[in-house]
Amino acid sequence: MYLYLYDNFLRSRKYDSLLSTIETRLTDFGIAGKIIRLQHLTNAESVINEEIRRGASTIVIVGDDKTFGSVLSKAAVCDVPFGFLPVGADNSIAKVLGIPVGLEACDVLSRRRKVKLDVGWFNNRYFVSRLHIPPSDITVEYDEQFKVSSTKGKIELVVCNLQPYTWKSRKSQDIVVHPQDGKLEAFLRPVVGKGIIKEKYDEPSIFPFEEMVVTSRKPFVVEADGKESKETKITIKLAKKRIEMIVGRERKF
Amino acid sequence: MDTEYHAPTSPDNDDVETVVGPSVHVEGDFASEGNILVKGSVSGNVKTSKLLTVEKGAQILANVRAGSAHISGNIKGSVKVEDRIELTSSAQILGDITCSILVVEPGALVQGKVMMNGVSIAGGEEDGSQRSAVRTRRSSKQEDQEEQA
Repeated sequence: MYLYLYDNFLRSRKYDSLLSTIETRLTDFGIAGKIIRLQHLTNAESVINEEIRRGASTIVIVGDDKTFGSVLSKAAVCDVPFGFLPVGADNSIAKVLGIPVGLEACDVLSRRRKVKLDVGWFNNRYFVSRLHIPPSDITVEYDEQFKVSSTKGKIELVVCNLQPYTWKSRKSQDIVVHPQDGKLEAFLRPVVGKGIIKEKYDEPSIFPFEEMVVTSRKPFVVEADGKESKETKITIKLAKKRIEMIVGRERKF
Repeated sequence: MDTEYHAPTSPDNDDVETVVGPSVHVEGDFASEGNILVKGSVSGNVKTSKLLTVEKGAQILANVRAGSAHISGNIKGSVKVEDRIELTSSAQILGDITCSILVVEPGALVQGKVMMNGVSIAGGEEDGSQRSAVRTRRSSKQEDQEEQA
């Protein structure tokens, strides 16, 4: 049995027609199922576990990057295959997974081409898209072997798992960070000064890793899958092949 | 029906480039499976089986081991390269170099011993002469085979 988790923003009238077409297509394929609309305070993990107990065999997330991240960061511990029907404008993860936005995503779902995805893990929490630390006085230790620090002060840190990330550069071309399977990639960019509007950054450093410890004397902000927290020490690891995901042929890994 | 698919592995995936940016300092032993590009400073051993590039202005203060290397910056420590090492005009090395092929641009500074495998002159290092003898035997065998063909 399929369980469909609809994001709250899909209540908007502009999605009514697309959603009804999607539901008709799913019925045609014989994979229609129960629909649960997620609220802000819905605990995805407990909802999914309860539905698995009732017989759900595939969990399908319906929404955008934010929905995907917020559901899977909680539900990565659930032992069930996941699908994704991307709806809306903000859908960069769907491209990486090879899933077209809108109605065509039903075709990918019906084919059930499954791969196991690596997931990032930090301080007892999973993250599937990316983790971001805005410029802070941090020191980074990789795989208990070497330490990286900036000679000029603050560093911005981005760890990419599934969501691509673009660093805008004035001098050279924009740097596009593509996700890769098997290792997490950390991108560090020291702040070298202040411009009129924004801070000026130096060229980024890139380190693939399996475990990383970020420390600071002062608390620093950590954004992971849209959730913010303040920490003084975080350990980031890679949980290999944690999530079973239905993907398209055009996936980028 | 469910189908299990494994992620396709491409050789490019292994070629992950590690970049040490210009205003970044790395402290500790630093190893990578892919190419390494150093633009900042590293205080610790650097190891890769692939290409190590040290840019002008960058510095490494420890021993280096690499598959091949292109040096334009400073290294204080021994450099062991399996294949080819290229020293540009701005390169400075304070330590011994071991390699198979050495390319030096005018202006590069080296203070230390240079050891290269394959020296066939009598009186060369034992290991080198043994390897060269093996190579000579192999090459003469190959020549024989070519003649027979």
